[in-house]
Amino acid sequence: MNTLPPQHPLHRRSVRLATGLIAPALALIWWQSQAAQGGAHAAAFASLGSVGGAARELMAHGSLLSDSLATLRRTFTGLGIGAGLGLTLGIATGTWRGLDRLVSPLLDALRQVPMIGWLPLIGLWLGTGDASQLLVIAMSAFFPSLLNAHAGIAQVERRYLDVAGVLRFSTLQRFRHVLLPAAMPLILTGLTQALAFAWIAAIGTEILTGGGSGLGVTMQMGETQQRLDIILVAITITAALGFAINQALLRLRARLLRWQTTAR
Amino acid sequence: MIAAQGLRLPRSLSGALPLLALLLLWQALAMSGLLPAQVLVPPLRVSDTLIAMLRSGELERHVGDSLWRLAAGFAIGASAGLALGIVAALSRWAEAALWPMFLTIWQVPVIAFVPLLVLFLGIDESFKIAIVAIAAFFPVALATFDGIRSLPPAWFEVARIYRTTLPDLIRRILIPATVPAVLTGLRVAVTRAWVVLVAAELLAADSGIGQMMEMGRQLFQIDVVMAGVVVSGLIGFLLDYGARAVERRATRWKSA
Repeated sequence: MNTLPPQHPLHRRSVRLATGLIAPALALIWWQSQAAQGGAHAAAFASLGSVGGAARELMAHGSLLSDSLATLRRTFTGLGIGAGLGLTLGIATGTWRGLDRLVSPLLDALRQVPMIGWLPLIGLWLGTGDASQLLVIAMSAFFPSLLNAHAGIAQVERRYLDVAGVLRFSTLQRFRHVLLPAAMPLILTGLTQALAFAWIAAIGTEILTGGGSGLGVTMQMGETQQRLDIILVAITITAALGFAINQALLRLRARLLRWQTTAR
Repeated sequence: MIAAQGLRLPRSLSGALPLLALLLLWQALAMSGLLPAQVLVPPLRVSDTLIAMLRSGELERHVGDSLWRLAAGFAIGASAGLALGIVAALSRWAEAALWPMFLTIWQVPVIAFVPLLVLFLGIDESFKIAIVAIAAFFPVALATFDGIRSLPPAWFEVARIYRTTLPDLIRRILIPATVPAVLTGLRVAVTRAWVVLVAAELLAADSGIGQMMEMGRQLFQIDVVMAGVVVSGLIGFLLDYGARAVERRATRWKSA
């Protein structure tokens, strides 16, 4: 039941592709019929035509582009701050046991709180503007970077360090030629997670605080204006952009780790 | 030998010391008057607030409401995820029909469903349960699918040779072999669902931990907000800890 004979029609690509389109097509037909029916749900179920219209409207307006750029800018600024600090601290705690003992319990405690749960407190301190959003995004990127960098450095095999010792590497050489390459796969895993979390945090804080521009702000606006078409356009762009930046990072990862596959 | 290394604190205690130091520092800083009370309240005030809210039953109501939403949404989302994962993993046709759409929707951050759901369901209980269900659905479906697919095909061939019936196949092969993967999926699901629930409550709720914090913010009650941070962190920790304990118990046979 798990394996089909190779000549089975489902192994043909086009058939598989067509099968994959059945469910979305059915969903769309159902959706469209709900929208056409009118009545109680008519406001909620925007017809496909109106979604297309909203997309064109937002694009002509230029707001779709500026929203996307605003969200991307927030994500990458927060990622830069959070992952920069996280990697630095993770490498430091991975290197020095004393520092690890001192700060890790604190960070573990802070990590338990849902990142967006910090928003009300941070809102009291910094107001509900850009600074609060950036802080939450940076915190979301901080922890995965920290944990993976720490694990990456801490797990470097003893014999590599012994070799470095035999070769009388300086601290810098040891870091540059032994620790960093060995920890690189996990560091990149951390960065990938950090990017995903930062992206989610950016959308989430935009929905929750809803000022300025951004894809989340637009979704929130669509909600208050009862414009499902606008929400759907923003969700679609969010999904596509999220997918694209994740793919870009995976490619970068594969490039940076090329030496790994050749070495093994 | 160990004694010769001098006095060594147990690991848990040495971890608690920096935390204690931070609390003391925080208390001292708050009492020094350098920062206004709207910005920093001493930890003892926060614990007083927590105790007062516990006594009045207010905390119990918020925590109870949040946990009920979590449980209801998780039950729905996890069972749906389990069902989809099993069906898509066992049938090539179901995989071809459902999985592309599943993977596409999976690209949307769960929190982006909030405005959509509010429009459809309003801001009542059903909205919060639905968002929790969505958050739980995806990790469970993925873990179940991967768990079943990573089984060696030879096992299925043996089952076919012995003419194992489907219920037997599920009970004697699929469930024991995929339990570890599924439990990991359930753990990820419950912690993510908690995060999303707190966020949804921040936005729209008349009770719950998130609403408690949001109200505290609007009323400038920083002690209430901090109490909420502590409680939501504690619940998140306990959910993860509990799920890990279940995972360890259920997979003990593997290492034995």
